[in-house]
Amino acid sequence: MKVTIKSWTGVATWRWVANDDNCGICRMPFDSCCPDCKLPGDDCPLVWGTCSHCFHIHCIVKWLHSQPQQQCPMCRQDWKFNNK
Amino acid sequence: MIKLFSLKQQKKDEEGSARAGGSQKKASAAQLRITKDLNELNLPKTCNTEFPDPDDLLNFKLIICPDEGFYRGGRFIFSFKVGPNYPHEPPKVKCETAVYHPNIDLEGNVCLNILREDWKPVLTVNSIVYGLQYLFLEPNPEDPLNKEAADELQSNRRLFEQHVQRANARGYVGSSYFERCLK
Repeated sequence: MKVTIKSWTGVATWRWVANDDNCGICRMPFDSCCPDCKLPGDDCPLVWGTCSHCFHIHCIVKWLHSQPQQQCPMCRQDWKFNNK
Repeated sequence: MIKLFSLKQQKKDEEGSARAGGSQKKASAAQLRITKDLNELNLPKTCNTEFPDPDDLLNFKLIICPDEGFYRGGRFIFSFKVGPNYPHEPPKVKCETAVYHPNIDLEGNVCLNILREDWKPVLTVNSIVYGLQYLFLEPNPEDPLNKEAADELQSNRRLFEQHVQRANARGYVGSSYFERCLK
């Protein structure tokens, strides 16, 4: 039997590769967005600290802004963005 | 055909306004987070929660009935007020039961590190529950709100214990009066 493909549609999925399922600050899944955003994806990205802990960028930035000392809310080590 | 289009448009408008109405009721970040906290709440058998308004998860009470230590047999009520900045700010927790305790003053202010300087947003209501329960098992005289009670706990443990029992059963310790809070 001969089959002729007339058209095809590609489908792709994506997910963040993080060491945890949920953001420790807002507790929303990493594959969802922070509570202040509407859509997951590049507009609500994840960031890692050098301590290896990971959060929604909006959650961790909000926390760091409210603190005199920049510490990871998970382990209290000095927070530095890991630009790997 | 024109009528059909206008019907469609009308329906769209209705949907739009319904969505706008719905978004007013959309849960705030604090509400979303407290809902998760409460769903995952794993209370020790000495603790219970009460919701005076079941639709308001931001204001509730925690009742602790210690089963060991100085405060065994007592029943202590704490009010939790979760603000719009939760979890970036801790809930406001007050003790509504008058208690003779080094870390709780007579206005009900509670001195617990994770409710103040050591709060971080990865902590949950559960962490606070365990922190409060720990205060009853191990009162900490190093960091007192009720200095009289703290000094007494350090200098004369037996007298402190007697005073706690007297306060719990209803009575005066020094010039402060305590209502009965035994179960």
